[in-house]
Amino acid sequence: MASDPKGSQLRRILLIFFSLSIILPLSSPSPTMHNNNWAVLVCTSRFWFNYRHMANTLSLYRTVKRLGIPDERIILMLADDMACNARNNYPAQVFNNENHQLNLYGDNVEVDYRGYEVTVENFLRVLTGRHEASVPRSKRLLSDEGSHILLYMTGHGGNEFLKFQDTEELQSHDLADAVKQMKEKNRFKELLIMVDTCQAATLFSQLQSPGVVAIGSSMKGENSYSHHLDPDVGVSVVDRFTFYTLAFFERLDMYSNASLNSLFTSYDPTLLMSTAYYRTDLYERPLNMVPVTNFFGSVMKTIPTDSAYPGFLVAHASEYATISAETETARVVLEDEADHSKTYDQSEKGLQHILDEWLKLLEGKLGVKDPEVLVAYGLGSMVLLLTISTWLSS
Amino acid sequence: MADDTSAAAGTSTETGAGTESNLRTTKPGTKRLFLTVSVLISFLLGAPFLLKSTEIHRSPLPSAAISSLSDHLHSNPPSFPCHFQAIFLSPFKPSDSSLSLSVAERIRAQLSAQSCGNCNFTVSVTVDSGSSCRHEGDAASAACLWECGGGGLVDAIEGRDDQGIDELLLSAVNGRTGGCAGRVYSIFVIEGRDERVVIGKHRHAWMVLKDLDDSTSVVSMIGTVFGDYFMRGGVEKGEYIPVGSDGNVVLSFSLLNSNPSDWIYDWDFQRTGEVLLAPVLEALAPVANITMESQVLYHAPKSSISYWDEKLEAYVVNTRDLPFFVNSNEWHLDTSLSASGRSKVLQFVVYVPSASECPLYIRTPEGEMSKTNAFISPMWGGVAIWNPPGCSMQSQGIHIVRDVLPPQELEKIIEIFIGQLRLLFGLNSNYVEPSPKFKVLASEKGFTNWELDLLYRQHTCFNLLSSLSTLQSLSTLVESLPRMIVMDEIGKQVELSLEAANLAESNISLGINNASALSSIRARALAEDAFFHPSIMSISYSSMEHYFAIYMPFFAPVSLHVLLAAVKEVKRYFAERSKYLTFRASKLKSS
Repeated sequence: MASDPKGSQLRRILLIFFSLSIILPLSSPSPTMHNNNWAVLVCTSRFWFNYRHMANTLSLYRTVKRLGIPDERIILMLADDMACNARNNYPAQVFNNENHQLNLYGDNVEVDYRGYEVTVENFLRVLTGRHEASVPRSKRLLSDEGSHILLYMTGHGGNEFLKFQDTEELQSHDLADAVKQMKEKNRFKELLIMVDTCQAATLFSQLQSPGVVAIGSSMKGENSYSHHLDPDVGVSVVDRFTFYTLAFFERLDMYSNASLNSLFTSYDPTLLMSTAYYRTDLYERPLNMVPVTNFFGSVMKTIPTDSAYPGFLVAHASEYATISAETETARVVLEDEADHSKTYDQSEKGLQHILDEWLKLLEGKLGVKDPEVLVAYGLGSMVLLLTISTWLSS
Repeated sequence: MADDTSAAAGTSTETGAGTESNLRTTKPGTKRLFLTVSVLISFLLGAPFLLKSTEIHRSPLPSAAISSLSDHLHSNPPSFPCHFQAIFLSPFKPSDSSLSLSVAERIRAQLSAQSCGNCNFTVSVTVDSGSSCRHEGDAASAACLWECGGGGLVDAIEGRDDQGIDELLLSAVNGRTGGCAGRVYSIFVIEGRDERVVIGKHRHAWMVLKDLDDSTSVVSMIGTVFGDYFMRGGVEKGEYIPVGSDGNVVLSFSLLNSNPSDWIYDWDFQRTGEVLLAPVLEALAPVANITMESQVLYHAPKSSISYWDEKLEAYVVNTRDLPFFVNSNEWHLDTSLSASGRSKVLQFVVYVPSASECPLYIRTPEGEMSKTNAFISPMWGGVAIWNPPGCSMQSQGIHIVRDVLPPQELEKIIEIFIGQLRLLFGLNSNYVEPSPKFKVLASEKGFTNWELDLLYRQHTCFNLLSSLSTLQSLSTLVESLPRMIVMDEIGKQVELSLEAANLAESNISLGINNASALSSIRARALAEDAFFHPSIMSISYSSMEHYFAIYMPFFAPVSLHVLLAAVKEVKRYFAERSKYLTFRASKLKSS
């Protein structure tokens, strides 16, 4: 709004002051430990001709699972309309290479958001954690302040936006806002964003939160290209950026410690036909000291337990030896009470008992089996009696 | 209108001489003026109604109260009043006059950086040895002083076992320290032959020393007990808060049969586990609302490699393979039905290895065999390996063994789990005793009362700071989106959260630790509920530009026309009126 410059300047100063007063006291806690890894893999396209985007996402899902991240810590969002598509020559199979060596849809694929659930709103809800109370735990990003999160997005994108399911867009400032809110609530320790779309680097251009490293498959004004066409399936089956990423990870296993720097520098612009741009200005650790398994694998921090808590059983036994004597007497008292309530029930039951007998007698006399019909008859006869008596008395 | 124009035409045509467009003979009509001005006025009158009808319901948040409480908590962090008293039951003549000051100094010297939940302590020393009774210490601690007359305790202690002495001293402390029983930590110093220091499971300890005149060693012992144990819980490392943001924790106990074709084990966790763990859960109630569940799983192999060790004739897992032990693909642990979205689930797993890797042991980083065969992962849970009996004999039986975990073994495993639970909450699994004369008694609740106090303090402080920062973020967020609907529910949750935070703070200063912990859990849960309310989605709410873009295409042209018409009409009316007035004036002049 066109307000006076002085007013806006004052507002800006106040905002800086206010934000400083929040940041300064909260910067004192000690750095948290890395506890666990999460992966959020999003495929934002649907329809048969976008086969390669689903193949991208499934390949990365497979890699991340192979390196150790369990299904309970992976959120997979897919339109999932490829494998059983009527145009699929290989029903229930999804490939990322024309040699068809690997069926990505083969076993143990757990899709958390499928079909029309892949929307910008759900994606932002996953990131910020603002779900309805009824959403199950498997669909939530349950990360904490020690989590490293890998966010991989693929689909069709453009300058500062990403297209979701052909109907809506995710803007770069929406993504930046969601990441800012995640950081405020300490929902991650470090975040790696990988984007494989056209003009991918513009999607994370508005990020400001610390602890984020992002890589995109192409810069502003460049397109990202698919790798090869599979003549059997009839569409392109994988994108170049993801293809070379997978090639890097095929050589690794759970125990290796290749660094993030080696991954980022392994992309060759001539092979990709675009420039893979990454930004590290928000990230403190130098990339050559960060193993890729910090994001792509799952390493639990373990501490051997040196001893049990001795004396617990003895203390428990001595404490509860006395109490068990008390509970014996308590149990006796309860039993007495149970008897008492039983007799009370009996007397009440007596009344009920009589009614039941009477009904049974009527049923027997009238030959009606269904007690409800009997009751209907009874009501009808009452109404009849009433009308007759009013007619008589009038 | 027709009259006016004809009249105007009339005036311009009929006057041949002089006064043509300056004069008119009739009063100008007011119909047009009235119409245009009334339309303008109706627009002006209706504008407030329009604004009111397009107003968004925003429940007012008490931002001022939030920021003031937040600043208050950051500038003076919650300090818990603790009172330490040393009671000498044997005659004692201190070489320096201010023993309490030296003890306080000793404690303060060891105090590391200000961590959340530290005690704001006062020290007092009482010498109550039958004949004389002398108090010395802080004036502020006068309310909780030890009443004299406990000289008979020394004889009563003689010959009892440690548990008995503990209970005896508990009744003495309860009887003689006024109403401060829950806030005072005491140490009883007795002169005797065999030197020992025993820390009880309530809030007191006792020391038997040979030589009470050596005041430096007395001060250092007292300082160690107060500072290292009662105040800091005996731990050096940082704190873990494994509690979900809604204040719930689910302990999920699983028995994993690695290969059911070798043997299948079941367990009676419901009876044994619930009986043993019930007091622990009750003791931790002010820290979190803990529930338990258990399951038995089959076909759950581990995913790391173990090596055959000839010397031990067993399979060994090295420490560096432990991070890969938990096979998350095959161990379907996170199938809890009772855990809601924001609870924390802690997994406790008993792993029964298959015949091909039995018996299985863990090697510690120092190269020794682990005594417990168990390990933990912070904020996740713990794993304990249980080797079925007789598996080293490698019997060639075809039939599958189906058996139940023997109750004694289950009890031993539960002891290990209690140790792991203590580790997960940031304490040591067992007491680290600095010398053989030191002893710490274990409690059937899994945590002694002084450790529970430490937990309550840490959690209260953490919860308060966390809830205040959440509320602060929420109010910033709400202010940054002026067109976002803020539902009444959010406003109410924020109010209740602030109320609970204030209550927790006042309880802290009164020293009621478990009530303050409960209020702080409530404050944090409500603050998180408000922040994570599903209706706060910034993408759904229109900005000011959007609001203008909706209404301007209609109102801008219309208001332009109305304004212009009104202005034109008013100007025309006044011009005509002045013409008529000059005509009247000239007529008066001429007549």
